[in-house]
Amino acid sequence: MEDLKHAAWILAGILVAFFVVMTMVAYTVLAERRVLGFIQGRLGPNRVGPGGFLQPLADLIKFIFKEDIVPDKSTRFVYFLAPVIATTAALMTIVVYPFGPEIHLPFINKTVQLVIARFDIALLYVLGVTSVGVYGVALAGWSSNNKYSLMGGLRSSAQMISYELALGLALIGVILQSGTLDLYSIVEQQAGHLGISGWNIIWAQELGFVIYLISAIAETNRVPFDLPEAETELVAGFHTEYSAMKFALFFLAEYVNMFTVSMLATTLFLGGWNGPFVHQLPWLGVFYFLGKVILFLFLYIWLRGTLPRFRFDQLMSFGWKFLVPAAIINIVITATLQWSPLFDYVSTFLKTPTGLWG
Amino acid sequence: MTAVLFILFAGFAVGCAISMIAQRNPLYSAISLIGVFVSLACLYVMLAAPFIAAVQVIIYAGAIMVLVVFVIMLLNVEQEERVPTRLRSLIPIAIGLAAILFAEAAFIIFFVHTSPSTPTGNTSDVGLTSSIGAGLFTSYLLPFEITSLLLLMAIVGAMTLARSGGLLPQSAVVVPGYQVLAKDVLDPHAAPDLTPVVAHTTVEVERLLGLENAPHLRDKG
Repeated sequence: MEDLKHAAWILAGILVAFFVVMTMVAYTVLAERRVLGFIQGRLGPNRVGPGGFLQPLADLIKFIFKEDIVPDKSTRFVYFLAPVIATTAALMTIVVYPFGPEIHLPFINKTVQLVIARFDIALLYVLGVTSVGVYGVALAGWSSNNKYSLMGGLRSSAQMISYELALGLALIGVILQSGTLDLYSIVEQQAGHLGISGWNIIWAQELGFVIYLISAIAETNRVPFDLPEAETELVAGFHTEYSAMKFALFFLAEYVNMFTVSMLATTLFLGGWNGPFVHQLPWLGVFYFLGKVILFLFLYIWLRGTLPRFRFDQLMSFGWKFLVPAAIINIVITATLQWSPLFDYVSTFLKTPTGLWG
Repeated sequence: MTAVLFILFAGFAVGCAISMIAQRNPLYSAISLIGVFVSLACLYVMLAAPFIAAVQVIIYAGAIMVLVVFVIMLLNVEQEERVPTRLRSLIPIAIGLAAILFAEAAFIIFFVHTSPSTPTGNTSDVGLTSSIGAGLFTSYLLPFEITSLLLLMAIVGAMTLARSGGLLPQSAVVVPGYQVLAKDVLDPHAAPDLTPVVAHTTVEVERLLGLENAPHLRDKG
């Protein structure tokens, strides 16, 4: 009975998180189109509903009712499997992110931690699931029986594998500093004065943060690293042959991936739900968390409106010859600081569990 | 609950393993192998070894199998033709090994059933990340270092093997859209001289290769 109750709680949590993430993803797409419009001196979609507010719904209906074209001589089973893998891998990581502190639910009189699944290896789980996501792209490119798709798929998977390395190495600094892979504990350790002074980005992880941010943008195949979708060279890259709902799934996977890497950046570097007065009003934490995530999503859109695209050889040499060595230097710096007694002193001062107004 | 999950994951693992052997298309075999790795990872989680499960997915499913899939995709291996006579001599050995495996499994099932004390689950911390890390850097430090040295040697070896033959000098710049040809492509006697010849247009490449007067040798693409 207790088992079933626990499972029901987790299922409810997953449903809520799924709904919230899906809604936010839909409105990220709308925000992207509106903000890009603003950057480029035009309006963007503003006809469906007030200010274009119902545009995501209209897009969804369009995707559902479009004709689903399966290319002749495609490898059928793999062609169907690829978008499923991409979407599943993107959505699976949502459950481990802590989006708020321990709160007291008013009506059922229960105190819960606002994280769906809390376990020992949460960070490794994220890395593992993300690495499986590469198959969606690679198999989509291969199974379409189209050389542009194949080139796009190969490029994309090569890029994702290369930058996954830099991304993983950038995270090691944070792991060294917090001594755990459990995301909830990592966030808890970042409490400090005003809920800000303990953030990892403020104390010793600046380089790690920059490396993580760059490799995360490359990992999600976004501008300026959107080589797989270089229109002028590859039509639309790995999803050239996909239409209707299957294309929508790839589209969804891309935006959910953006969302999850933003959540990871928030959790590891920007203190997760920590912020001023969280201890007095725990619900504030949820808004701090979502606010920081939205900040990252805005950065993504801003970059897309600003930067041109890399060339493929530039992309590869940047990843392997600059980011990976920089990440290794970051590990050495963090390890040296961990070992020095002065760091210990300052760190205890900055990271007092509750701090001033924490 | 646990039994249901075990049957689910174990069944998936066995199904994927059979499909891996039975498939004719090498890519389908590779996908089935990924399925086996993922369901094994789920089983490791159930055995209270989450670290091993994560590493299984990250390394086997996420890195090694990606390379395998890459190779299959790049070589574009067609469906292998059915060759019944190949490796026929190994069939008796395979049957023998399978018999031994089944005997072992039967022995274990029998042994566990008759054993008076069954170990209680979830009390050990052997599978946790911290205990594995502590073990690696204290009691098993020497094997750990030797393994890392071995891996480093493998990396250097792979680099050396991949670069032999097509080694370009430090000054060579490879830019997409340009042709860079080693001198020995044009003149076999200049083989040790690896200074590249850079051509900027197709016409120049044709002239360098001596193809101007041989239109039948041109790439039709």
